[in-house]
Amino acid sequence: MNDRNLESKDLSIEVADLTVAYGDKPVLWDIDLNVPKGILMAIVGPNGAGKTTMIKSILGLVKPAAGRVLILGKPYHKQRHLIGYVPQRGSVDWDFPTSVLDVVMMGRYGALGWVKRPGKKERDMALEALDKVGMKKFSDRQISQLSGGQQQRVFLARALVQEAEVYFMDEPFQGVDAITERAIITLLRELREAGKTVVVVHHDLQTVPEYFDWVTLINVRRIASGPVDEVFTDENLKTAYGGRVAFISHRKQEANEHVDIGEDRE
Amino acid sequence: MELFGFLGEIITDYTLRTVALGSAILGIISGALGSFAVLRKQSLLGDAISHAALPGIAFAFILTGIKSPIILIIGAAVAGWFGTLLMLSVIKNTRIKTDGALGLILSTFFGFGLVLLTYIQKQPQANQAGLDKFLFGQASTLLQSDVIIMGILGAIALVILMLFWKEFKILTFDPDFGESIGLPIRLLDILITFLLVIAIVIGLQTVGVVLMSAMVVAPAAAARQWTNHLGLMVVLAGIFGIIAGVSGAIISSVGAKLPTGPIIVLCISLIVGISMLFAPNRGLVWNWIRRRINRHRLHLEAVLSDLYELTLHHERRDHPHSVRALETMSIGGGEFVRNSLRELQTKGWVKNVSGDEWALTESGLAKANDLVKERQV
Repeated sequence: MNDRNLESKDLSIEVADLTVAYGDKPVLWDIDLNVPKGILMAIVGPNGAGKTTMIKSILGLVKPAAGRVLILGKPYHKQRHLIGYVPQRGSVDWDFPTSVLDVVMMGRYGALGWVKRPGKKERDMALEALDKVGMKKFSDRQISQLSGGQQQRVFLARALVQEAEVYFMDEPFQGVDAITERAIITLLRELREAGKTVVVVHHDLQTVPEYFDWVTLINVRRIASGPVDEVFTDENLKTAYGGRVAFISHRKQEANEHVDIGEDRE
Repeated sequence: MELFGFLGEIITDYTLRTVALGSAILGIISGALGSFAVLRKQSLLGDAISHAALPGIAFAFILTGIKSPIILIIGAAVAGWFGTLLMLSVIKNTRIKTDGALGLILSTFFGFGLVLLTYIQKQPQANQAGLDKFLFGQASTLLQSDVIIMGILGAIALVILMLFWKEFKILTFDPDFGESIGLPIRLLDILITFLLVIAIVIGLQTVGVVLMSAMVVAPAAAARQWTNHLGLMVVLAGIFGIIAGVSGAIISSVGAKLPTGPIIVLCISLIVGISMLFAPNRGLVWNWIRRRINRHRLHLEAVLSDLYELTLHHERRDHPHSVRALETMSIGGGEFVRNSLRELQTKGWVKNVSGDEWALTESGLAKANDLVKERQV
């Protein structure tokens, strides 16, 4: 498959034989994945396909049963300072007593190191990031007073101040308004222009070709991974979603008709 | 005059001073650490820890035969910690959920502790009396040496809390993110639980194992009502803890020698009640007033726009309409229509033409027009 010809120095993420199991139930099975630098990649797949688990196991939040992950050529724990992470918005309690600015500054905690408190520099970085996501005037607001879209922007701003090379975002478009969706996609494109790699767990198949360069389809196993116009085919979608997918694309089908899942796997 | 005399007594009277100081230490530590327990949705963990500490206290006495506070505290801490670990492993390794595991550990340890206490009381030793004060607490039995130990342990806990403040904050708010930036989340989790164990064991002699969890949950719950800032919440919880601890301990030691735990809990409950009702923004009274104001405004707007709609049906803008028509139009009965009309009249937006007949004024027309436009947006 096309990611085979990529050389290691062009890759931002290399995943080999990644297997994750909860108890004896496999959640991810023998995943191989090579992601080049400077692209926007979507991870798609049905509910329970292991999309979130894949991100979490790459980040070391879930311990894989087997497998190897390299970020920019080195193991994850050596590259933490190069990674930005946006967890699912619903994974935290937004009634926590803190302000928008404070949450964004948490993105600097990794660079700050132990014990040290955030200061003016962190404050300025956080305000700048909030400005980028259009939330500067909300910086003093208590986080429980934010709408869903605003919460998502705050999380994005927090990832921005991490000044990472590789970003992982878990469903950033989940339940946000149209304006926020546009704002997010503009931001993602800016990150790509700056040479960053962005991996996004995505659930809206319709927008995949418009928003992303690359796509990885998974359903416990990796179904396909590569440039959107090569691997985002009806056939691969059917394999991933078990034929239940109502989405029929209007893209040119002919060029992709030979893509066979059997060839995908190495 | 009397108050000053009393305050003077606290400073000079050895027992009162010791009691007040000990209770203040217990209040500030349990309030501060309790804030994190509450925010981490582990309010009941404190209950399990304190109940689990009882057999530790009894065991420490049986093993050493000494009633020294440091030995009893170590016994309490070890048993409390062991109970916590056991509970977490029950949750992890069985199908029993958190609430079930809590109840299980709490009652097993507490029951075992009671058996040990009864056993100790049957021993023919002179100094076995007094261990039962750990059930409901007895502040008047505090000695200066107890307070010194409480102070040292509490200070250590507070210093650690402040030192790792930002790490604990991220552990509480977003542990996944914390782990992704390389924080040892599991270690921090253990550390803060350990601090909670310390906060609880230093309060046991004063408040007792049965009610100690109230000092973990209540000050934090009260403080949360008044602020949206974590630092302020922890400070406030500490202050509430001090107020409840000191007032409860003094009442119990100067009065009829009541057990201190229940009285401290009554004091902190009063603070919680006031906070639940009257805190701005989150308080129930505040909410109730805000809802009343909102409903009132909606009623006025509804009547105004109904009248506006009727007016649009007629060539002449000042054509009057009856209250009955407006009442039928309004959702939910419309008992408020007359009152609303009278209030709109004082604002100059409607005029009473005759009896029950009302019409919009010029400014009322403009206002209603704005309102309808606003809704369309």
